[in-house]
Amino acid sequence: MSSFRWIWGYIKPYKVYWFWASLWTVIVALLNVVTPYIGGMIVDEVINKERGSLLVPLLVIMIVATVLRTVLRYVYQMMFETTGQNVLFKIREDLYTKLQEMDFVFFNTTRVGDIMARMTGDTDAIRHAVSWVYFNILDSAILFISAIIFLGAIQWRLMLSMLIITPFIGILTVMLSSRANAAYYEIRESFSRLNSMVEENIGGNKVVKAFANEDYETKKFNKRNEDYRERNLFSAEISRTYLPVLETLAGLLSVITIGLGGFFVIRGIMTVGELVAFSGLTWMLNVPMRSIGMFMNDSQRFITATYKIRQMLSAKPLIPVEQQRREQRIRGEVEFQHVSFAFADDPENKVLEDISLKASPGQTIGILGETGSGKSTLVNLISRFFDPTEGRVLIDGEDIKNWNVRELRQNISIVMQDVFLFSDTIQENISYGTPEAPIETIREMAKVADASPFIEKMPEKYGTYLGERGSGLSGGQKQRLSLARGLMKNPAILILDDTTSAVDMETEVKIQDAMRRVSQEKTTFIIANRISSVKAADEIVILSKGRIVERGRHSELLQKRGAYYDIYREQLGQSEVEEAFDDGTE
Amino acid sequence: MAQNRLEEEQQLGTKFNTENYTRIAKYLLPYKSSIAKIFGVIIFSNIVLVLGPFLTSVVIDETIPNQDATQLLWITIIYTLATILNGAAIRYRLYNIPLLGQNVLRDMRYDLFTHLQRLSFSFYDSRPHGKILTRVVNYINTLSDLLSNGVINVLSDILSILVTLVFMFSLDVTLTLYSFILLPILFVITLVIKNKQRIAYDELSAEQANLNAYIHESIAGIKTTQSYTREGMNYEIFSQFSDNQRKAWMRAVRVQFLLGPIVQNIATITIAFIYFAGISGLGVNVSTGILIAFVGYVNNFWNPIINLGNFYNSLVSGSVYLERIFELMDIEPSVKDSEDAFEMPPVKGDVEFRDVTFGYKEGQTIFEELNFHVKPGETIALVGPTGAGKSTITNLISRFYDVQKGSILIDGIDIRDVTLDSLRNQVGVMLQDTFIFSGTILENIRYGKLDATHEEIVEAAKIVRADEFISGMKHGYRTIVQERGSTLSAGQRQLISFARTLLADPKVLILDEATSSIDTQTEVLLQEGLDRLLEGRTAFIVAHRLSTIRNSDRIFYIGDKKILESGSHEELMQQKGLYYQLYRTQSELLKKV
Repeated sequence: MSSFRWIWGYIKPYKVYWFWASLWTVIVALLNVVTPYIGGMIVDEVINKERGSLLVPLLVIMIVATVLRTVLRYVYQMMFETTGQNVLFKIREDLYTKLQEMDFVFFNTTRVGDIMARMTGDTDAIRHAVSWVYFNILDSAILFISAIIFLGAIQWRLMLSMLIITPFIGILTVMLSSRANAAYYEIRESFSRLNSMVEENIGGNKVVKAFANEDYETKKFNKRNEDYRERNLFSAEISRTYLPVLETLAGLLSVITIGLGGFFVIRGIMTVGELVAFSGLTWMLNVPMRSIGMFMNDSQRFITATYKIRQMLSAKPLIPVEQQRREQRIRGEVEFQHVSFAFADDPENKVLEDISLKASPGQTIGILGETGSGKSTLVNLISRFFDPTEGRVLIDGEDIKNWNVRELRQNISIVMQDVFLFSDTIQENISYGTPEAPIETIREMAKVADASPFIEKMPEKYGTYLGERGSGLSGGQKQRLSLARGLMKNPAILILDDTTSAVDMETEVKIQDAMRRVSQEKTTFIIANRISSVKAADEIVILSKGRIVERGRHSELLQKRGAYYDIYREQLGQSEVEEAFDDGTE
Repeated sequence: MAQNRLEEEQQLGTKFNTENYTRIAKYLLPYKSSIAKIFGVIIFSNIVLVLGPFLTSVVIDETIPNQDATQLLWITIIYTLATILNGAAIRYRLYNIPLLGQNVLRDMRYDLFTHLQRLSFSFYDSRPHGKILTRVVNYINTLSDLLSNGVINVLSDILSILVTLVFMFSLDVTLTLYSFILLPILFVITLVIKNKQRIAYDELSAEQANLNAYIHESIAGIKTTQSYTREGMNYEIFSQFSDNQRKAWMRAVRVQFLLGPIVQNIATITIAFIYFAGISGLGVNVSTGILIAFVGYVNNFWNPIINLGNFYNSLVSGSVYLERIFELMDIEPSVKDSEDAFEMPPVKGDVEFRDVTFGYKEGQTIFEELNFHVKPGETIALVGPTGAGKSTITNLISRFYDVQKGSILIDGIDIRDVTLDSLRNQVGVMLQDTFIFSGTILENIRYGKLDATHEEIVEAAKIVRADEFISGMKHGYRTIVQERGSTLSAGQRQLISFARTLLADPKVLILDEATSSIDTQTEVLLQEGLDRLLEGRTAFIVAHRLSTIRNSDRIFYIGDKKILESGSHEELMQQKGLYYQLYRTQSELLKKV
């Protein structure tokens, strides 16, 4: 029942509309009786009582009623379709908004294919219920009730004998629906899995090809494809258990009409005209009964879909998006106070441990460390994509949790390690965070990020469309576009997470020089593996297994002859160090 | 499907290609015996359906006037039996029709998927993945009803029209002919509606595809969106797509739902006319029973026609999807096996580029007349400015793209003469963008060699120094990673991807920025393992770090669409050319405090 209450919340804004549409449905259902009823009258009055003058008026009524009925039906169908589309629109909108609020943990653990299934297949099941199933059930119910009334008026004994069948139909329907429910859930799940598999195959097509694993992929696909087929057939299996019985019972109604009705006529209990009228109206009992199975299937699909959608809508983001605004420009002071962090599913495994760090506005912090030592997690805490499990992160002296998340992020530019570019023009991609930006600024930032040389070489320059995720561009090109995008925001805090790893060192230096001009007052965090990237930082920290093991300026760290010094030597090439010292300085 | 942007899905031509029906028929052909059985069952059901009005007319015209209770009893028994048998027939249909439909859908999906596996990089690079996905999964599902119930029902409807016609003609020829008077009008109206509907559905499917693609990309890029606080604007764009879809839907149904009422009105007018003609004796002279039965038949006759109209509706909307599916199936892979392709014999590792000219797009060459020869076992470092084409060389060796002019030879064999599978199985490439599949880490590494044992996998992971972090995880190698490895760091993904490539044990190894996100300490350790591994293999390495480059046998400096310098580190340093400059600058930059 809760599914119906929930969907009513969406229909409510259109309730007047909905009410009228329902009323038309009832009227049309009643008008359905006119044609067969007139048929009966023609036999009784015109033929048997030979009142020929009535024929034409009766036929005219019949035609007019049909025109009226079909026009009204078209009108209410449109009304239901409109409502259904509006409901669909709103649900989709709510889902989309919810998704935008969800945190990284959610997206790290939820497959894109699953979310797609919610947004497409499930929402469509709901639309179908609102704009089609509802009025058809209403229509059938009215038909059934009016059939009982009309048939009862013609010959109540015959009608009652038909009603004997109804309880069986009720029982069967309940049995069917409870089993169908589970089956539909399975179908949806299986569909999700199929969807995710194909999605991943398309996304990873290059790897598939590189390893010539097409056959393996096809095997994987076959399994899912077959599973989806089986699930669908299982639901057909359920249908074939119950529906034939329903159909037969419905068919027996006609048998009763002819057999028992004929008997009544022979006995003189009813007239031939009555029998004709009666048999002409039997379909009114028949049709609703035959449709019950289909309605049950559709309703179950609807209920299953609402469960899944409501589940997603009620998910609570770990980082709540507050609505109040504070309109405050961040100065850019960042402080970590004894911060530790672990993911909720693996609390033992501390990604960060007891990190204390302070950056004054305008300072640059360089972060080096082993693969998986927690560098990216550290900077993700600044943008509050995660909350620390212990300790506090302060921005401008205030706990990060007291900031409005969106406002906070507006002041922070994080150029992520995983570059995500959208299938849009280069211009749109660079100005992704600042949609109103003039082309001059875009050009300027592209120049700073050293992206302009390759952009200018493209035939459509800034208007060039990129493939999904920027496919077709080299890693270095993607990184430079992403950097330009990050610089566009003119943030108080700039975070560069391994931004230039795929760019050669000369270009990197060019970028660094250009950036020094634009990022002077910005607090900057640079994650890198190359010494050259962090050399100029005010403080360099070396992370190892989530802890800071060394810190200081470039020159200080070299003197320490610790881990940093080793990295430096290695990157320079050992022999080169000597060679360079032999040569003296050039 | 040639577009690579979101907002546009090109519209199809206005004519539906009848060839598509032939193609659909091909999918149905393997199930012809099942179709025949279903058809037989349907014939039976139809007979039961006609039996109703027939028996009614017998009861009214004979049994009742004769007061024949025995005949009535017999009629009741026969009708009851027929109804129960019909129940059995329905049972058969309820399972076998979906079975047929699901089988056909499975086959189509299979064909589409295997076809996708054959398509080349350029296909995937030029269109949003959401749109491809929609075709494989959603569009085919949309056809489900059309193929299973649709095709069967249409046969059944045609049949019941025929059976009904026989009964009608046998009752009264003139009345039967009267029933057809309005048919021509129906045909004309149907044709007009059909055309409008097709256009409307075409628009709808385009809008639907746009919306889905946008949602898809929104989810995939959510992290970027959140860090740029673009939620508001994305919401606006999404709303626009969503609204366009809604409007397109309404336009489509407005046309679609017209057909039903029109058919019904025509049917009613026909019935009224039959009554009129029958009673006022307009050229006919029939009994009451026959007239009643006849009206029943006219209903029996019009219902299938309404159904046919509905089927036509869904055929029209379905054909739009069908066309898009077939359109995808018709895209030829730009790189494929030649007709007489043979298996690549075990590779020794001799790689030669002969006058290779190549560009991703027409008129934009990356290389012109590129020539080089690499001996088995050599390690080649590719250096040069970004965008010079280092990755392109590696893409060409694996034959992800075909060269425009010249040829690439491995062990003296043109790589276009061998099968792609046998080539790529022996040429291992670690791509710049690592891709991690959802599943365990174990499965991800095993992707390089599907029959690898657990030990082999751990061994490979140890060589690339991935074992350490994997073993440190709660579930070790059985740790489940999400799609694209979103819970791993970029360096960790590279290590896994590296292990995967090594496991494949290729004779020619290509490392394209394989260690860019890996820290120096790990890289040093990795290098040791790698040196051992590179023995006896030809390797191409694209890297920026000097230490990696120095260790190679030869260095190619790429620029100006060709190789500008080539030689060992020492040789090139002595030449004091471009490489020397690059090397000096890098050291200088590092040493400058």
